[in-house]
Amino acid sequence: MNEIIIAILRSGTPLIYVTLAGVIAQRAGVWNLGLEGLMIIGACATIVGIMLTNSIVAAILIAILICVLASVLLWFVIDRLKANPIIAGLGLTGLGLGGTALAVQSIFGSQASVTAPFGIPKLGPAFGAYGVLSIAVAAMPFFVFGMWVLLRRTRFGLRLAACGEHPFAARSVGANPSRMRLVALAIGGVLCAIGGAELAAGSLQFFAQGMTAGRGFMAFAAVIFGASHPVGATFAALFFAVVGALGIRAQLMFGDKIPHDLLQALPYLATVFGVWLSGKLRGGAKAASSFAELKDQ
Amino acid sequence: MKDSLVTVARSLIFVAFALILCALVFQFAGYNAPLMLWAVADGAFLRSGAIEQSLRWALPLFITAVGVGISFRAGFFNIGAQGQFYVGAICAAFAAEALKGGPAFLVIPALIIAGTLGGAVWALWPGLLRLRSGTDEVITTLMGNFMAGLLLVYVTSGPLKDPSGSGQQASSRPLDEAYRISDSLGISPTIIAIGAAVGILMWLLVNRTAFGVLASLAGRNGTMVEWQGARLWKLGLSSFIISGALAGLAGTIEFMGPNGRIASGFLPAHGFTAILIALVANLSVIGTAAAAVFFGGLASAALYLPIMAGLPAAAIDIINAAIALFITARSKLVDQVLRLGGRPS
Repeated sequence: MNEIIIAILRSGTPLIYVTLAGVIAQRAGVWNLGLEGLMIIGACATIVGIMLTNSIVAAILIAILICVLASVLLWFVIDRLKANPIIAGLGLTGLGLGGTALAVQSIFGSQASVTAPFGIPKLGPAFGAYGVLSIAVAAMPFFVFGMWVLLRRTRFGLRLAACGEHPFAARSVGANPSRMRLVALAIGGVLCAIGGAELAAGSLQFFAQGMTAGRGFMAFAAVIFGASHPVGATFAALFFAVVGALGIRAQLMFGDKIPHDLLQALPYLATVFGVWLSGKLRGGAKAASSFAELKDQ
Repeated sequence: MKDSLVTVARSLIFVAFALILCALVFQFAGYNAPLMLWAVADGAFLRSGAIEQSLRWALPLFITAVGVGISFRAGFFNIGAQGQFYVGAICAAFAAEALKGGPAFLVIPALIIAGTLGGAVWALWPGLLRLRSGTDEVITTLMGNFMAGLLLVYVTSGPLKDPSGSGQQASSRPLDEAYRISDSLGISPTIIAIGAAVGILMWLLVNRTAFGVLASLAGRNGTMVEWQGARLWKLGLSSFIISGALAGLAGTIEFMGPNGRIASGFLPAHGFTAILIALVANLSVIGTAAAAVFFGGLASAALYLPIMAGLPAAAIDIINAAIALFITARSKLVDQVLRLGGRPS
């Protein structure tokens, strides 16, 4: 049992950090499909940072800096240049995937993956079987709670929601929707960096090209599934992690009967199911700004 | 027609901007950027035989991109072209296995139909989920891409595995020469004819039929179209099916033409590039043809980058991503500079 819970926490924690980034962006009215790109940038920057500075703190700070800068770029394109958030987000994802591949190749030569000598510190033997988990896993619930407080119990959170739902009304009480979006995306950048760092340096300690494998998009789906509520989205992300862990279990048990490539598709299938269910429950997802609408601006 | 070409020209300025931006980044990263830009131009259009090579990449991209444009026009973000492309190729490969030994004049059309249907089915379920239960199609089609990718891995290393293949990349058994629609160069009268037929049919569909007009209106204001008595879900589902079918057709062409087999993870950037082409063309069919030639050139140049400028082929992915980031930007400043007046289309 412990093993399964550890596996779920391991795969779920990076997803939850990135999901929180998606939640705050969604609240501000931005469909952030750049999460996948931000996550892989965070993962790559952490591992490269460890190799260059020999310090995990410095590495994560570097990752945060780069992810925040990338988020600001996304904000600039969406908010200032009025680009379509979905396409711009996919563009940022492509930049992240291609850019990290190029960065790794130009720094370390032609290698598909880079292994770091150490990663994020572990909890240690005091936690028994759970000691193999990194401290980022233990910090995760506090981040979820912090995000809940920020979004639901502060003036900032209320204004942010107003900006997302009705920018005009928000402006009438003196909030600046554009600046609020910037702040939301920047906070999201920090969270994506931590999520990426946990993915690459939490239990694995290596970076491979394209290692996020759609986790950023899954986090985005968790935001929709969880009705952009921090706690709801966290549980949605945990649900995807549970399905993933059960898939790996099933591989071990029935590996000879069901092809493992098809079992690997389970989390994606669960994501489709989750989004379908949330659409059913709430009478359809809130439509993203359509492309045609954008053309008319 | 002139209008749509002006739009493409305007978009291509953004593209050029993205190219220069990327070149600066590459220069900063220690590569030779002028050599890279030269390699792109040379590999795409200048070198002898380069035009044929660019067309080889442009034709399948054009077919997929026209489909993407049709669903975008109707207001649905079907970004699952990659998955539909894969499933199309997989279905054609299975059909080829089943019909082995039949006469070519029957088997070739059958394979094309099988692939087209496969792509359509892979767009049908997100379409149904979207129109029946309001499930967001951006996520379902994206997840469809990942699932189709895994399906391709499974098929090429399982049921269709080529036992004589190398361990590097799993691939299917090669298609019988008699059923190929081009040699490995990838340009043949058959493929050109299919591309032209798709272009003409889709131009007529978009510009000369009630469906085309209503679908574009539905993309702008669905409620209004409903009130006029059109069935929104019919329009929507048809546009999903058409876009999936065309992506599947492109996958089939890649399978029956230049590749002659399917391999796990082949042409991973096809769908994304097709989306870019549709957007650069501002969703017009004629514009899509022009933009496809340009991006086909970039795709063919990608093969020369490692040789000419020492850049990994991933450089083209980065350029494409940078284009995606900026392509929908509608800067008033750019419009003023281009003197296109106050009518951004």
